[in-house]
Amino acid sequence: MNLSYRIYYVFLRNLVSYKRFVVPTFLVSLIEPLFYLITFGIGMGAYMGQFGGKPYLYFLVPGVLVSSVMMSSTFECLYGTFVKMIHEKLYDSLIATPVSAEDAVAGDIAWAVFRGLVSGSLMMLVAILMGILPGSLLSSLLLLLLMIFVGILFASLAMIVTSVSPSFDFFNYYTELIITPMLFFSGVFFPLDRFPAWMKTLSNFMPLTHAVKISRAVFSGEYESGLILNFLVILVLEMIAFYIGIKMMKRRLIK
Amino acid sequence: MSILVSARNLVKKFGSLTAVDGISFEIREAECFGFLGPNGAGKTTTVRMIHCVSPVTGGTLIVNGLPAHINNRALKKMTGVIPQEIALDNDLTVYENLIVFAHFFDIPKREAKKRIAELLKFVELEAKRNSKIDALSTGMKRRLLVARALLNNPKLIVADEPTTGLDPQARHLIWQRLRQLKSQGVTLILTTQYMEEAQQLCDRIVIMHQGQIFKEGVPSKLVEEEIGREVVEVRVPKEEDEKIIQQLSSFSCGHERVGDTLYFYCRDGQGLMRRMIELDLHNYLTRPATLEDVFLKLTGRGLIE
Ligand SMILES: Nc1ncnc2c1ncn2[C@@H]1O[C@H](COP(=O)(O)OP(=O)(O)OP(=O)(O)O)[C@@H](O)[C@H]1O
Ligand SMILES: [Mg+2]
Repeated sequence: MNLSYRIYYVFLRNLVSYKRFVVPTFLVSLIEPLFYLITFGIGMGAYMGQFGGKPYLYFLVPGVLVSSVMMSSTFECLYGTFVKMIHEKLYDSLIATPVSAEDAVAGDIAWAVFRGLVSGSLMMLVAILMGILPGSLLSSLLLLLLMIFVGILFASLAMIVTSVSPSFDFFNYYTELIITPMLFFSGVFFPLDRFPAWMKTLSNFMPLTHAVKISRAVFSGEYESGLILNFLVILVLEMIAFYIGIKMMKRRLIK
Repeated sequence: MSILVSARNLVKKFGSLTAVDGISFEIREAECFGFLGPNGAGKTTTVRMIHCVSPVTGGTLIVNGLPAHINNRALKKMTGVIPQEIALDNDLTVYENLIVFAHFFDIPKREAKKRIAELLKFVELEAKRNSKIDALSTGMKRRLLVARALLNNPKLIVADEPTTGLDPQARHLIWQRLRQLKSQGVTLILTTQYMEEAQQLCDRIVIMHQGQIFKEGVPSKLVEEEIGREVVEVRVPKEEDEKIIQQLSSFSCGHERVGDTLYFYCRDGQGLMRRMIELDLHNYLTRPATLEDVFLKLTGRGLIE
């Protein structure tokens, strides 16, 4: 792994180019959570009654927070990276400079994490404005930290997909067969305990499940020791995914 | 003069395809070295190994004292690359393209700004400073690539077909700029399909074909050795070849039939011309021999001597 501080320069390049897209992406980042909170939260919440003594929205918000991080960082490393690699040949120019292929890919992962963090925080802001408050200030800060870990995980996983993708169409397999089901089977919208046993087992193999559990605990401030295991799952998975993602991208970039 | 690049039996394979097939050459400091060859000859593949973005499959390649390797940051830091394909950052403006690239080379912001202003002037793009890349013509994009390659004050410039698709003005501007850099002691590695470009810029060239080097030398000498001084083209039906060759046999020129034209390659075209006038042949043309003739002879088809 030939990584260096130049990751930051690649991040900076993305920031410079982002200037032009700030308004539309902020709007998307705001409208998406609003859509979820209104349709699921307020619409369905009316029928859901209380969850552990609190309105449904308190259940929903922490899950939607991490899934919006998952979505943004995934899409950035799928479509964003693919365009830069194939259509703009940006990586080719980069590796002819002192920036290594590893720096370039890691820089893009860092960027995707940032995008995830922006989406997640905007979501949190909307929730707060709607009166759905995290347990404490510490909770909000820990949530931001969690978003970074979740972002690294899903950005790296997406990098692996991008590294073997022949075209845009390929991404549909990943988003439709893995990401979307994950959204529904990770306990974001409803609790897992009413699912049959095999489904619960399955959901444990979905990284988002663990992120949602942590997020919900941090949001309410009600921790339990099992969370350490959830966190370890995320940490180990993302280290592996980061390593493999960079290796596989490098193999694709250097011919 | 010291050697900057030295290749011994250099090989590059892409799967089962051998793109570079055991070539050896040396490039001296402060010279312009050209790789000539038709499409697919292996020029780009060779120079990409030299500037360390593509791993070597076999043989040795030493660049600036170190084996060429993908992690050779020191070499990349002192090298400017003008890629064959226009690879600019379409999301950014002209200025942003340059400032972002300056970061990659650790150039401090203030110095970068000064350098960008100079370079935009150097390639005559000051008026386009804040344009998006889409709004540039191909020639402007190529000039921007030149400016980008010069940001780090390179000691070595690798220019892969830098004037493809340009009009004569733009082409001459780029040639001038490259000559200017060479006069400042920069080593220039050029690939091209334009023979004129090689003659204008290169001290030494190699002619590549199917991954191998066919000939190496100084452009003007190569022309003289391989072809002679002049080429006489006669457009006559094929049936008359034998008669004409017979009539002109005393001039000991090489000749070749390609399509509708019979070519004579001569040391002394004048004598041949006079004889042709005597023979009352029309449809002929005499011109100085160029590298293109060498190129076609070596890579196109065998010459009948
Ligand atoms: N990344 C790659 N994967 C597989 N084959 C490749 C790759 N790059 C080049 N080749 C093959 O290697 C050979 C040499 O290609 P190269 O690009 O070096 O030629 P070139 O002399 O630069 O040609 P041109 O004048 O068209 O630019 C070609 O047969 C090409 O198809
Ligand atoms: Mg080429």
